[in-house]
Amino acid sequence: MRSLLFRTAIPALHLFSPKTLTLVPLLPRSFSSKSPPMASPKDEPPASSSSLSIEKQFEGFRAHLEDSNSLRDRIRAVAVEMESVTRILYSNLLLVHQSLPISEVLEKAARQIEVLKGHYGRLAEILLECPGQYYRYHGDWRSETQTAVSLLAFLHWLETGNLLKHEEAEKKLGLGVSEFGLDIEDYLIGICFMSNELPRYVVNQVTAGDYDSPRKVLKFLTDLHAAFRMLNLRNDFLRKKFDGMKYDLRRVEEVFYDVKIRGLAPVDTAEEHSMQT
Amino acid sequence: MFCLRGCSRLVCSSLLMATKPHRLHQIVAGATLQGSSKKPRTLMVDSAMQDGFAKYAEYLNELNDKRERIVKASRDVTINSKKVIFQVHRISRGNKEEVLATAENDLANVTKQYMSKLVKELQGTDFWKLRRAYTFGVQEYVEAATLCNFCKTGTLLNLSEINASLLPLSDPSMEPLQINVLDYILGIADLTGELMRLAIGRISDGEVEYAKKICSFVRDIYRELTLLVPIMEDNADMKKKMETMLQSVVKIENACYSVHVRGSEYIPLLGTNDPDFSLFGAADFEP
Repeated sequence: MRSLLFRTAIPALHLFSPKTLTLVPLLPRSFSSKSPPMASPKDEPPASSSSLSIEKQFEGFRAHLEDSNSLRDRIRAVAVEMESVTRILYSNLLLVHQSLPISEVLEKAARQIEVLKGHYGRLAEILLECPGQYYRYHGDWRSETQTAVSLLAFLHWLETGNLLKHEEAEKKLGLGVSEFGLDIEDYLIGICFMSNELPRYVVNQVTAGDYDSPRKVLKFLTDLHAAFRMLNLRNDFLRKKFDGMKYDLRRVEEVFYDVKIRGLAPVDTAEEHSMQT
Repeated sequence: MFCLRGCSRLVCSSLLMATKPHRLHQIVAGATLQGSSKKPRTLMVDSAMQDGFAKYAEYLNELNDKRERIVKASRDVTINSKKVIFQVHRISRGNKEEVLATAENDLANVTKQYMSKLVKELQGTDFWKLRRAYTFGVQEYVEAATLCNFCKTGTLLNLSEINASLLPLSDPSMEPLQINVLDYILGIADLTGELMRLAIGRISDGEVEYAKKICSFVRDIYRELTLLVPIMEDNADMKKKMETMLQSVVKIENACYSVHVRGSEYIPLLGTNDPDFSLFGAADFEP
């Protein structure tokens, strides 16, 4: 690096290159204005008004960035609490694998959802302080939100057998009233997470003697997969998650097949028809 | 058991086939026709779900189109800002005014033609949502604008001044585009590299005073930025730029040093108080 520098600087001094030669007539003026060998430290331009104005501007930046960081710290504090609520919610939800009646699971979860909603309320309040900058801090609560959506969607499916829609998810989290809404990509990623949970659910339901659940889950997951294929995805995280969904679907199909081939599934005329064709 | 595995694979293969694109049309069409297709199960697609996803699909399409437009505009800003920077580097002793006038003119065109495209796209929350798509263009623009300004006035063009120059681009109904502090700082960090080139060029050209001025200016910037780096959000980029910046500062300092030290060696040789560098240069070249 250093040798390269000298190579750049030295030709200029020795005036070797023909190119500099052509410029040489101009040189004396600047060099004769003072004597170069005697150059003293005074020649260094002093801290001028220019560097003062630089300082002033950067001081402003510092204040701005510090404000932004303290806001971010507050958001992160809320996100940490959200994370712990979603964890509790998830552990409550895991009881479905142990065949706890769905009504009880829902009841336990409802309380946690209220807490979660409270946290989103606090987040919304903080975000009011920085209008328009929702996405500047978005990364700090993104993964928590995706998990929350997946849990809510799973609960909703257990309750109704339908997919939790984007607006419904927003409403459950108390979002969408202000600029602060549920990002659609986050919602979709959450739905993909939910799909990951279904194979395990089906396996455990069958083990517990519910032979009809594979059919229901399979229908839901097939529909969901078909719906996702309507989206033009970029090569991003959502795409990756969606690509994983087909393995969930395959696993559920396998379970359905196992149950069906052994005649364990309750006889359903419509289903019978579809299997024949 | 083994046999069953094999059978179930048959089921899976039919599913995996279903992921091929041509099947998508069948399924979507099947959902609307509700008629006599061959696969009854895919026909019973939940229509509420489909409605929801049609909306999400529209949202994603719009978002992606917008992102593409921004990336394109940003690339145009980058290319043309680079041209402005090259124009500035064409400076030499005699042509400063013309070169800078052309550079400024070019810069004004970048602002008018390409930055204006960004203004339209970055309304509301998109400004932060899509920052990754435009940040490089904006950084390059900041670099070009501040470089021009430094050559002209010897001072740092402030963020507020740049933003003021962007105001006329947006009509009153729109939010004006305002470059954010982060992109400005990242642009300034790149500016020091260009200033290093400029300083070395000026020294080769004999304008040592000018190089010294650049040197102290770059030092000021480096000093100020050291305070900002730790508090910037996702500052991995910035840390890398700081290392490069320090190298640039050192290069300028070393160049100034060699002029300072070696420059003194030639004067006594000439034996005159008013050293005639042209004579010296010519004499040096003759043998």
